[in-house]
Amino acid sequence: MITPDDHHREHQLTIFVALILFSLLLILIQMWLCFGVVENLIAGKPAMAIPAAVVSLICFCVQLWMFIGIARIDRQV
Amino acid sequence: MDQQLKTDFPVDWVDDNYVSRRDLFKFLTLVSGALAVGSAGMAFVGRSDRETLNFDRQLIGKVSDLPVGASQTFTYPRQEDLCLLIHLSQGQFVAYSRRCTHLSCPVDYQAQNNRIFCPCHNGAFNEETGAVLQGPPRRPLPKIVLEVRGDEIYATGVTTRSEIEL
Repeated sequence: MITPDDHHREHQLTIFVALILFSLLLILIQMWLCFGVVENLIAGKPAMAIPAAVVSLICFCVQLWMFIGIARIDRQV
Repeated sequence: MDQQLKTDFPVDWVDDNYVSRRDLFKFLTLVSGALAVGSAGMAFVGRSDRETLNFDRQLIGKVSDLPVGASQTFTYPRQEDLCLLIHLSQGQFVAYSRRCTHLSCPVDYQAQNNRIFCPCHNGAFNEETGAVLQGPPRRPLPKIVLEVRGDEIYATGVTTRSEIEL
């Protein structure tokens, strides 16, 4: 028999998996930006380095925000 | 003895290998942080690369010795740094490092093709900007900053990476 508690746990697990996938996507974006910047620096075009760094920092902030959220959920469970 | 150990140190393999979701997220956040710091570092390196390095002023040639379309070699700022001075048009001089940005072969000026050519791997650079025209080099030639005073041509610095767009 599925209790409301089980239902709640399953719901949280789904959210958690979604967050993990989103987090991996953010890391992939950051890696792609890093490789792009290295390629361009080698080619003597440093113009994209600063915008890429800003986007990477934004990704990190989102990641940090999600980590704080997960920690809060964990504390409640 | 084994039983005593298990009682003293009650750590199970399952517990030992257990990774909580907080730990996993902490790891992902650290990776993300490292990538962000790396990107910021590269942005800093990219910014400083654009700077012109100033060296002592050095006489490298005379206007009257170099007709239009001709080139001459000189060394700047050190004795081992070979450079190329080119007289493009009346009164317009440019100078570049003679070292190809691919594998450091010496480049030559080809006035008939309006380019600077590297014979090692058929690399070519724009005579006016030093930007790559063809071949394996990916970076432009470092440009020597010139100052013409009367009949004398002086080198005053080196631009390591110009913001030339191909």
